[in-house]
Order: sequence, then structure tokens, then C-alpha cells
Amino acid sequence: MACVLGMLATGCGSDQSITSPVTEPAREIDTLWWAMFAGGMVIFGIVLGLLVLAYVRRRRSSDPDRAERVSYAVILGGGMVAPVVLLAVLFAFVIRVMPAVSAPEPGSTSLTVEVTGHQWYWEVRYPGTDAVTANEIHLPAGTPVRIVARTADVIHSFWVPRLNRKIDMIPGRTNSIELDVPKVGTYRGQCSEFCGLGHAEMAFEVIVQPPAAFRRWLDHEAQPAETPAGGAAAAGQEEFQSASCEDCHTIRGTPADGKVGPDLTHIGSRRTLAALTIPNTPGDLYQWITNPQGWKPGSRMPGFASLPASARRALVSYLEGLR
Amino acid sequence: MTTAPVPRARPNGWYGMLALVAAESALFATLLATYAYLRFSDPRWPPPGIEPPSITAPLVLALVLVAASAPLAIASRTARRRGAGPLVAPVALALVIQAVYLAFQVHLYADDLGRFSAGGSAYGSIYFTLLAVHHAHVGVGVLLDGWLLTRLRGDLTEYRRGAVMAVALYWYFVSLAGLAVTATILIPAW
Amino acid sequence: MAVESPAPAAAARIDRLERIWAERPGLTGWLTTTDHKRIALLYLATSLAFFAAGGAEALAMRTQLAQPNERVIGPATYDQLMTMHGVTMIFFFVIPLSIGAFGNYLVPLMIGARDMAFPRMNALSYWLFLGSGLLVYTSLLLGMAPDAGWFDYVPLASRRFSPGLGIDFYALGLILNGVSSSAAAANFLVTIAKLRAPGMSLNRMPLFCYAILATSFSLIFALPPLTADLVFLELDRKLGFKFFDVAHGGDPLLWQHLFWIFGHPEVYIIVLPAFGIATSIIPTFTRRMMAAFPLVAVAELLVAFIGFGVWVHHMFATGLPATTMVFFAAASLIIVIPSGIQIFAWCMTMVTGRPEFKTPLLFIVGFIVFFVFGGLSGITLAAVPFDQQVTDTYYVVAHFHYVIWGAAVFPLLGGLYYWFPKVTGRMYYERVGQLTFWLVFAGTNLTFFPMHISGMLGMPRRVWTYPGGLGWNVENLLSTIGAFFLAGGLVVLLANLVVSAYRGAPAGPNPFGGGTLEWATSSPPPAYNFDVIPQVTSAYACWDDADRADDRRRLETGELVLEEGHETTASTPVDGHLDEILHMPSESPWPFVLGIVATLGTAFVLTDHYLIAAVAVALAAAVLTLWHAKEPAAA
Repeated sequence: MACVLGMLATGCGSDQSITSPVTEPAREIDTLWWAMFAGGMVIFGIVLGLLVLAYVRRRRSSDPDRAERVSYAVILGGGMVAPVVLLAVLFAFVIRVMPAVSAPEPGSTSLTVEVTGHQWYWEVRYPGTDAVTANEIHLPAGTPVRIVARTADVIHSFWVPRLNRKIDMIPGRTNSIELDVPKVGTYRGQCSEFCGLGHAEMAFEVIVQPPAAFRRWLDHEAQPAETPAGGAAAAGQEEFQSASCEDCHTIRGTPADGKVGPDLTHIGSRRTLAALTIPNTPGDLYQWITNPQGWKPGSRMPGFASLPASARRALVSYLEGLR
Repeated sequence: MTTAPVPRARPNGWYGMLALVAAESALFATLLATYAYLRFSDPRWPPPGIEPPSITAPLVLALVLVAASAPLAIASRTARRRGAGPLVAPVALALVIQAVYLAFQVHLYADDLGRFSAGGSAYGSIYFTLLAVHHAHVGVGVLLDGWLLTRLRGDLTEYRRGAVMAVALYWYFVSLAGLAVTATILIPAW
Repeated sequence: MAVESPAPAAAARIDRLERIWAERPGLTGWLTTTDHKRIALLYLATSLAFFAAGGAEALAMRTQLAQPNERVIGPATYDQLMTMHGVTMIFFFVIPLSIGAFGNYLVPLMIGARDMAFPRMNALSYWLFLGSGLLVYTSLLLGMAPDAGWFDYVPLASRRFSPGLGIDFYALGLILNGVSSSAAAANFLVTIAKLRAPGMSLNRMPLFCYAILATSFSLIFALPPLTADLVFLELDRKLGFKFFDVAHGGDPLLWQHLFWIFGHPEVYIIVLPAFGIATSIIPTFTRRMMAAFPLVAVAELLVAFIGFGVWVHHMFATGLPATTMVFFAAASLIIVIPSGIQIFAWCMTMVTGRPEFKTPLLFIVGFIVFFVFGGLSGITLAAVPFDQQVTDTYYVVAHFHYVIWGAAVFPLLGGLYYWFPKVTGRMYYERVGQLTFWLVFAGTNLTFFPMHISGMLGMPRRVWTYPGGLGWNVENLLSTIGAFFLAGGLVVLLANLVVSAYRGAPAGPNPFGGGTLEWATSSPPPAYNFDVIPQVTSAYACWDDADRADDRRRLETGELVLEEGHETTASTPVDGHLDEILHMPSESPWPFVLGIVATLGTAFVLTDHYLIAAVAVALAAAVLTLWHAKEPAAA
């Protein structure tokens, strides 16, 4: 048991742990877990005790009638009466927690964010604005937010363990979950329904900001892309067209309106690339464009190693400038 | 004592058929539940462009199939009681009715395929699958009747007795399944 | 041969029985056998071979996951391995071993019969099993194994997102496998209903047979939803049907519902035979009848029954209505009760008996530890909000390996030791046996315990690799070390059994003093199981010395020796009164032929050769006709 607690304790700083809750729903689930853990350890201990007793008493014989009576008492007590009582208590606890983790009632939230799962990235939209981004979900702190969970292809599952339970994204269905995060911070989430080759590389971040900072971010995110200043970045924009990047990607404010891959309008300001697979630095972006399969085998994006290195560097300059 | 005079329990073959009937009932239950599930997920049932099925032909046919079990029930009773009554005639009669039934159903099925497809909608998919599974069971039953007729030459041995009872049991199941299937595909017409 | 040296009249009868029941020697004999014991050995060898394959798949995965960002295998291969591991272990290892090997070998012996009710169909079940396994493994050899996980959710498994043949191998292979298991289940149901020895009323039937009875009922009703689901999938994939296509009125959740309506009873199908083995081993090694015998029998049946009402607990994250989830959470909690009854019955039998902790009983103790622990993690998964955090993480992987590996397989390992003397006629090496227990017990814990932790720290399932810095590294490394340690322990276990089979001390008919009828005949049993059909007057027939002495007397007089042909007795289903003498079929090539025809027919459907497949169906009908061409000798 010490091992368990020790291991869990080391994980307490872990960014994706369900035992490091930040919100009310996640805290309620965490409490439910520790209550079940404690109860479970007691029950396990009792059964272990019976097994030890069997070993200790192994050479003593019992009067058969008495043995059968005692056995019936323990079997019915331990196997029927005690479970009925304990499980009823657990059931009551479960019913109490369920509303906190259910989809939010209509009208109970101040902001809606639409997240659509794709193979293998997260499309993030803010209805009522033109803001579209990918793999990062910015939220204002202390605000009840409805996350609308959909999919564009196969079943995915939206899960940020420190904030709430997971909710599946199923074709033809629209599921919702509430995120009301009191603390500013960055919280990691990951796809939790096997969705094909890139399933392991489909993580995302929920970035909770002070409300004013969030407003500024949202206003900026809704803007179309800035035209590149000149030089390498301008050359990169030309390259973006001629290399057919716009067949798959959208950059608002330019003719690029592809819907296969993520929106790149403000890609320069994102913290990571390819759904948290690699950090967003010029060097990493260059390697990604050259050979996405090396980072994310099975990714839909073809490699551009056939382009001259200068063309690829120009692309990087252009994209990194799209802040 | 080495043997009981006359077995009291039903023959093993009948019990084996009961197990098969149980499994196939679960299969039909699944298909019917699937129909209901799809129907209640979709407000438009059948989808636009597909006519709901007519009522008369399916209902009449379902009743014909049930009726065909009557001669089999008679044969089964004779067999169970180790009686001297006719066995070949009732089984042959049942076979003829069931074969004609099947022919009609195949004709209606082909007609339906001309009007809408299985690949065009979930409605078409479950409609044609459910009916195909039912008709396949009828077809197998007709083959069983034929086999049974080849067996019923000479004395009524315990084996043949068991065979008659088992085939009759199979047909009770298929007739009941037929009623359930008909009622289900007629849901749009309720 | 007979238990003791028989007198001349008895010796003549035994001689006749030997000649009547002898099967052809060599390969032909194995291909045409209808002897339930030989069929069981075929199942044993084949399921253990698949176990090795599934284990290799596991070790490959664990190697890839030992450290973060590892590149030993890529996602395409990993996804095939994780799918094949699940499919293999469930459909080609644990179920065939439990019911095909243990069930087949033991049920006729335990009920005092000379064979199963349908011996040729028994052989057919085996050949269909082998065919289905070979068919699915062909996909792996061709590098196109299914890769959408063992539960194969749509739309990922649809033609659009999985265009290759992998999913078709999965679906068609499992349909064929389902026919095999359904036939076996029907066979057990009729055998248990009709072929029990005279005097074996239902309340005197061994608890192992109750477990097989419950398992068989479950198989009959659980497999059709899976078959329907797989048929829908193939119709969608091959003929463009729209069962799961949202744009045309279909629903991907339909796949999940039907799959889990099968899938949850399936896990009870997996574990119930293990319960049966536990309830066989415990009385023998505690020299005491199972405590609360009727409660245990009813509990086994209840587990199977309630198991049909809990499937939605695999779907708590899909966004179903709260009322639905609450109902299924309640049902999932209720099933704890018949499980708890059995756990306490096993424990109290040991507490109030005089347990000898020999190898078989050690494995049962290990089973109890794993079953309680896995059951407790199962209870936490019935708590809907907690499940909605940890479903699809390694916490669930930990839970089901504790119950499927720890609780279902440990009794199988213990059973291999327990019935080893009966099957081989030799004793295994006891001290090595105990060592193998500790090795496998430790290895199991080391492999699967850390997974609870990595799951709670957020590690999802079915990931071919993971980043460092999330706190998952230590747990994964421990699991990998554990997996290799466990594999090592299993190798020692296998070696112990193989060496003992050649060099172990000869074992008599009942080296452990067991109370069920398989111990009343020689080790190994003759082809005809018993010299005389035993008369039964209690639930532990082999502890009734007077009845067994009576058997030997009846061998002399020829009463219920049934030496006129392949004969066994049938009794009334409930009370077990002698009802008729059955004439059983003997060797036949038709099961093997039909197995080949069915497997090839399935392969032709797989490759879209529907016309040839139709010919195969016609051939199958012809084989069945020939199969039934000869009637049994007239009564």
C-alpha cells in the first residue's frame, strides 16, 4: 500500500493525473476514488485475513455441522448483507456526484467552445467569433464554459483529467461537457478513444487565462493572418501556394482554405506543433515540414523533402510569423 | 437392470435442436432489436422515397407459415406417442406448403429490391437483412423436411422418432420467428 | 485398464470394451477421433500454441513501451499486435482451453458418462476452432492483421477508414469461431441434461459441471449478438450496407451496444470455468465438501444471468442519458453479490477444512487474491463518474488483466497441475510446481499492478508510445520487467509439466483423494472412461466407498457395463433416473472434412469469391447429409 501511495504521490505533480484535480467536478471524482480505495483496502484485507487464517488453522479439524453453520453465516454476511449495505452507500455517493460531471444545462454557461476531433488533431472554434485554432483551447478562468464535442471522422474522446471526466466524440452526435476552471494554468489533455495510427500523438492543451487576457487573445485570434513583412516570409507565402499547402490548410485572410489539416492562421503563436508532439520552434517546424512521418507515423501530411531547403526555410519564416 | 423399457425423457436430438433454437432465437431477437433501435433513432422511417411495406401479403404469408406447422405438429405427436399414424404424408404436406411459401417470399423480396436498395439507407439494410435471415431459415427447414422424408422408410426407430420431433420443433420456432419478423417489418404501417 | 486386477469374467468384459472403443492409430486416428478426451488434448495443444503467440505479441508491445518515445516498433505494427493480442487471448486461448480442453475432458468423466452427447459435433467444434484461428493468423503472416483493437469500433473499422482486408479477417474469423463455440455449448447443455450417471440428480452434480452449464447458457445467448454485429459490419464493408453510417440513418453506437451485449457476458464465460475449477480443487485439498454447496451452484448461474444486464458500463463515456447509466451502474453493482458469495464460500471451506497447500491449491489461493483485487477495481468502474475518468486508460487494462489473467487463468494453471496425474498417469514435481506458482504470482503482480497507477496518471490505452515527463516511465518499465519475468515463470511451469510427463512418478487413479468421478477410473482413463457406469448417491461420488465397491461387483455381473457397442446411459434431466441406453457414433472423417469446407468457404467470402463460397455451402450441406446417413443401432 505504501508503494501505491508513493507512486500516486510522485504523480501528483503530473499534468495528466486524475488525482491532481483543479476543478470542482474533478475534485468530487477524486474524493469518490479515495473513498472507494479505502473501502477496497479494508475488504481486501479481510479476504487476505481469511486466507491467512486458513493457513494458520490448517491442521485443526472442525466439527462439520458447526463448520457449515459458521460458513453460511460468513458467506451470507460477507457475500450478501455487507455488500448490499456497502454498495448501497457507494451507489448513493455515485448518484450525488453524477450531476456535477454531466453536460451543462442550457443557459448555465457563459461561453461555448466547439471542439471537433479529426484524425489526428483538434479543431477549436469559438462560435460568435471568427476565431479558429487547433490543439490549444484558451479559456477564461472562473467562467463556466460549455465544450461542445464533435468529430469529423471516427470516434475520438475529449479528456483533460485535471478538469473533468472524458466525453466521447461520436459521428452524428453532439456531446457536451462543462469546464469551469478557477486557476490560471495550462492543463494537458489527450484523445482517449483509439482512432487509428496517430492516436498516441493526439494530445491538446487547455490554457486558462485571466479573463482580460483571454479576451485579448480571442480578439487577436479572430483576426485574419497578417501579411508578411517581406523577405523570407513573403517568399514563404508564395511557397505555401505553389507547394499546394492550401489544399489541406486554411489561413484566414488568404486564398488558402483547405479543410483537411488544422487552421494555421496564428500558428506562430502556438506552443507546440502536431497536437503536442513537438515544440513550436523554427528548427522543429522545419523538420516537421520535411518529414512529418518521422514524428507522427501515419500522419496525413506528406513530407516535403523534395522541396529545396531554402524553400522549406522560407515556409518556416512565413509560418512562424503568423502570430 | 440394463435398460429402461421405454425412454421417458425427450431424445437427445430434440434437446440439441432446442439449443439451436435458443441460439437462433437470440439471433432473431438481436435483429428485431436492431430494427427497433434504428427506427427510434431516425424520425423518418422509412426514409423519403421508400414506400412502407404493404400489409396484406406479408400477413397472409406469415399465417400460411404458421399453418404449415400444423401437419408437423400432428406428425410429432404421433412420433412422441410412438403411434401408428401416418408420418410421411403430414411431413410431405408441410414441405409443399413451406416450399411454396418460400417461393412467394423470394418473389416479393426480388420485387422489393427493384424498388429500393439495401445499400441506400439503414432502413433498407435492416429490412433486407432481417428478411434474408428469415428466408434462409425457411430454406434450411425445407431441406430438413426433405432429409426427414428420406429417413421415414420402415419402422419408427427411436432415432426417427427423435428426428420428427426435432424437425417439428425447428418449424415451430421458424413460424414464430416469422410472425415476429412480419410484425416488425410492418412497424411503419402500424 | 481396470482399477484393480479383475477376475476372469470382468477381464473378458474389459477386453470387449477395449476392442469396441479402440480408435485407429496414428494421424488418421487423430483426424477422425470422436473421443472427448483426445479432442480435449487437441484443444489443449492448440490453445497453448495460440497462448504462446499472444504472449509473444504482449512481450513485443511491452518492449516497445518499456521507455518513453521508443521506436522499436511503429504504430502500424503495434496496432496490429495489440488487436491480435486481445483476439488471440480471448478467442483462441482462454475459451478453447477452458471449455474445449478442461470442459471436454472432464464433464463426461465427472458425470459418469462415456462420451459427450454429440461426439462428432464435438470434433467439429475443434476443427472449426482450429480453422478460425489459422484463418485469422493468416492475416498476421500476410502483414494485414486487423488493427482497430479487439472491440473494433466503427467508423474506424469501416471500409472508409480501414480499407484493407484486416478487419474482414477479424469479422469472418470470429463468426467461424462463434459457430465452434456455440456448437460446443449446445453439446455441453445436452450432455449435462441427459447423460448423467443414474442417481446423479441435479443437486448431486459436481460444481464444475454447474460452471460449464452456466458458461454454455451464456455462450448460446451471448454469441448471436456478436455474430449479428459482425455480419452487419461485413455487409457494410463488402456490400455497402448502411447499418453504422450516420449519413444514411445508421448509428456507430449500434456496433457498441451489440458488441458489449456479447462482450460482457463473454467475460463471465471466460471466468466461470475457472470458478468451476476452483470449486473442484478446494474440496479435494481441504478434505471437506464445498461450504454452502447449493448457494455456490446458484451463484454460478446467477453470475451468468445478471451478466447480460450490465453491458452499458463499457459505454459510460459515450454521452448516454443519465437514467440509462444509473440503471446499468446499479446492475453492475448487483453482480458483486453472487461473486461475493462464492469468494466467501471458497475461503470458509479452506478455513474450516484442513487445507494442504500443494501446487493446485496455491494457484487457487492466487486466483482468490487476484479475483478480489480485480473485482474491487471492477466495482470502482461501476462508479460512473470515476469510470468516466479512467475508462480507456491503463487502469482498465490493469483491471481486466487482474480478472482475466489472474482470476481466469490461474485456476487453469492450477487445473493443469491438478488433473495432470489423471491425464498422463504420472505425478508432476511438487516442489518445482510450488516454485512456478510463486514465479507466476510475482510476475503477474509486477506486470499489472503498476498499470493501475499509470492509468490514473492519465495514460490512455492503445498507444504505441508515450512522452516522458508525465510520470508514466517507472510504471511502464516495471510492467515490462514483470512481463518478461512472468514469461520466464511460465516457461518453467511448462518445462515442469513436460519433463514430469516423461519422468514423473507413476500416479494411481486418485493421488489427491478427489471426490468427483474422474478419480474413480484409471490414470489415464481408458477410451471408454469407466468399466461400469457408476451409480451415484451423493454429490461427492468418489468419496462414497460403498458405491465404488458396488461398481466393481457390477463389473462381474455385467450390470451397466454396456459392452454391446459404443454405449452410454441417458437419464432424466432433473432427477437422473436411468432412462435409456444410447448408441454413440464412433470415428468419422466428416467433422474434419466439414471443418475444412467451412474454413475455406469463409476464406472465399473474405476474398469476395461469393460464388465459390456458395458452392462451399452446398458442399457443407452434402457433408451433413453423409454425416447423418447411418442411423445408430436400433434400440
